[in-house]
Amino acid sequence: MQLILANTGSYPRIGDAPAAQRHRRAYAQRERGEISEAEWRAVEDDVVREVIAEQLGAGVELPTDGQVGWYDPISHVARHLEHVAINGLLRYFDTNFYFRQPVVTGRIARQAAVLAGEFATARMAAAPHPVKAVLTGPYSLAQGSILEAGYRSRRALAHAYAEVLAAEVADLARAGATLIQVDEPFLLQHPEDMDVVRETFETLAAARGSARLACCTYFGDALPLYEDLHRLPVDVLGLDLTYSPKLAGRIAEAGTDRSLGLGLIDGRNTKLETGDMVFPVLDRVLPRLRERAYLNPSCGLEFLPRDRARAKLETMVRLAREYAGARRA
Amino acid sequence: MSRAKLATLGLDLPLLPTSTVGSFPKPDYLTEARAKATRNAITRSELDRLERQATEFWTRVQEELGVDVLVDGEQYRGDMVAYFAETMEGFSRGGLVRSYGNRYYHKPVIVGEVRWPGPITVEWWRWTQSLTTRPVKGMLTGPYTIMDWSFNDYYPDRKAACLALAREVRKEVEALLEAGVKIVQIDEPALSVRPDELPFAVEAMHAVVDGLPAYYITHACFGAFETIYPGLLDLPVDNLDLAISHSALNLLAMFETNPFTKDLSLGVLDVHSHTVESPEEVKARIMRGVGVLSKERIWVDPDCGLKTRTVEEAREKLTSMMAAVREVRATVR
Repeated sequence: MQLILANTGSYPRIGDAPAAQRHRRAYAQRERGEISEAEWRAVEDDVVREVIAEQLGAGVELPTDGQVGWYDPISHVARHLEHVAINGLLRYFDTNFYFRQPVVTGRIARQAAVLAGEFATARMAAAPHPVKAVLTGPYSLAQGSILEAGYRSRRALAHAYAEVLAAEVADLARAGATLIQVDEPFLLQHPEDMDVVRETFETLAAARGSARLACCTYFGDALPLYEDLHRLPVDVLGLDLTYSPKLAGRIAEAGTDRSLGLGLIDGRNTKLETGDMVFPVLDRVLPRLRERAYLNPSCGLEFLPRDRARAKLETMVRLAREYAGARRA
Repeated sequence: MSRAKLATLGLDLPLLPTSTVGSFPKPDYLTEARAKATRNAITRSELDRLERQATEFWTRVQEELGVDVLVDGEQYRGDMVAYFAETMEGFSRGGLVRSYGNRYYHKPVIVGEVRWPGPITVEWWRWTQSLTTRPVKGMLTGPYTIMDWSFNDYYPDRKAACLALAREVRKEVEALLEAGVKIVQIDEPALSVRPDELPFAVEAMHAVVDGLPAYYITHACFGAFETIYPGLLDLPVDNLDLAISHSALNLLAMFETNPFTKDLSLGVLDVHSHTVESPEEVKARIMRGVGVLSKERIWVDPDCGLKTRTVEEAREKLTSMMAAVREVRATVR
């Protein structure tokens, strides 16, 4: 069974040393009008290359662009849409991170492609390694938005976001993305909306071309939705195993016909995992998985300081190698 | 119920007692001095002098406005968790983590056994109380929030870290009471983030306050209040401080199903908005509360600390609040 070592999504864009704070300085210079948009883009692209190199250097086989260009997970795509204004800050789940709420004031529409260009930069930086494309799903965008006009319900807004994101998914597939991960963290807070998520994923799946599609959930316990998640038209299910002590047992018991992304490395805490914490779960789960599975952090790593994010990835890689070695022996 | 407790503590507060959540904006001279202090460009004693000057300023402002229960204004604190993490043993400063946009902060890391280093806030309380005859609250951050807003490299899990912190926060409460504090506010804004952890957050609060005679207030964020109600009522405190300034939540419906059993501090000013509410707006918000609970059980305050506002905005907002309270007192008495 192939266990692919992957990053999940975001990655810290600065470190503590002054030399590691180029992004922060350029951001401030851009806000003060001291550098041009082109100069800013050049720094941002450099940082994308840097975080991809750092992930590959840690031994990750499937990196992401670290979502370096994303202001936050909710407003990044939404801010480019017609009839969307960007509002004040709201706390992002139980993190100390805040996102800006999109305000939907009418029928939303895509004005230009948002993600394909970013993906192209990342793909070139990671070559010859593949890179995973990551975006926030339509349901979570609808949950994170303020709906003022244009739609009669949040469900209708989720469907509208799905239409927009389907175009992004199609662009990503055309740009060479082989795995497109769609994050739906809000789903775990609202299991009653599982059918909305399924319907919107039908729209996304129709646009994926030859790319594999993943649905990733985190910041909550996926156990109550484990069977329902298998009704999604996706190839990969990303599961946060740090929130749910019983989820590994359910996987072992029920099995799965999908590839799983095993979120065993806690992206929310600095404490580094040990074999005692990870190996028993792999022992239970791996025999029930298909030919390809992913080992990855439980969520994006931007909630950690940069040095800890790197240490998490290095730990993940080391543990996977130790595990493979021990089981061979 | 809690009126009687206040009386036993020797506190005779008016109808709809007014207070604030804790922090006030730092005057420009103090913000500049704090920045200089990080570069060692001014001495610790000079910074201390300016912090005292700002504390005295806010004490006078609160007195002039007629606020009933005062705070020291936290002019000597940065972040409500980092302040305690920097003071207590067992924490390291932690690396930079983004909070939004281009803003980063040092998120503390628990790296060893957490220990109370001796009185942390007591001298500030003592000095502020010496400036006024009105009661000044002791102001602490609760163990659950300190745990949730820190990384934990040391304890086996979140509960263990939270309960260890509770034992140490209790020592600060004891020191405050020994100094003469009658009202202690223990803030837990993180309380609503993981509803399944509420039982150990409650256990931790018991560990902090059980057997220690004071009137206790807990400020919690209203965001996901509905997810932890009525379990929130298990907190062993006398008063829950909840933001209602811009919430559409129907308190009445919730309290009808599960009666609210504590005193309620109504957070009636939106501290995240630059707009200064009119007394009429504030009055309407107070009346929503008065329509739900006995007026004897209601306190009035802003919906969070005012530190993100300018000095003038904070003063104007509180002026509106006090005008509204006076009107309501005259109406409902």
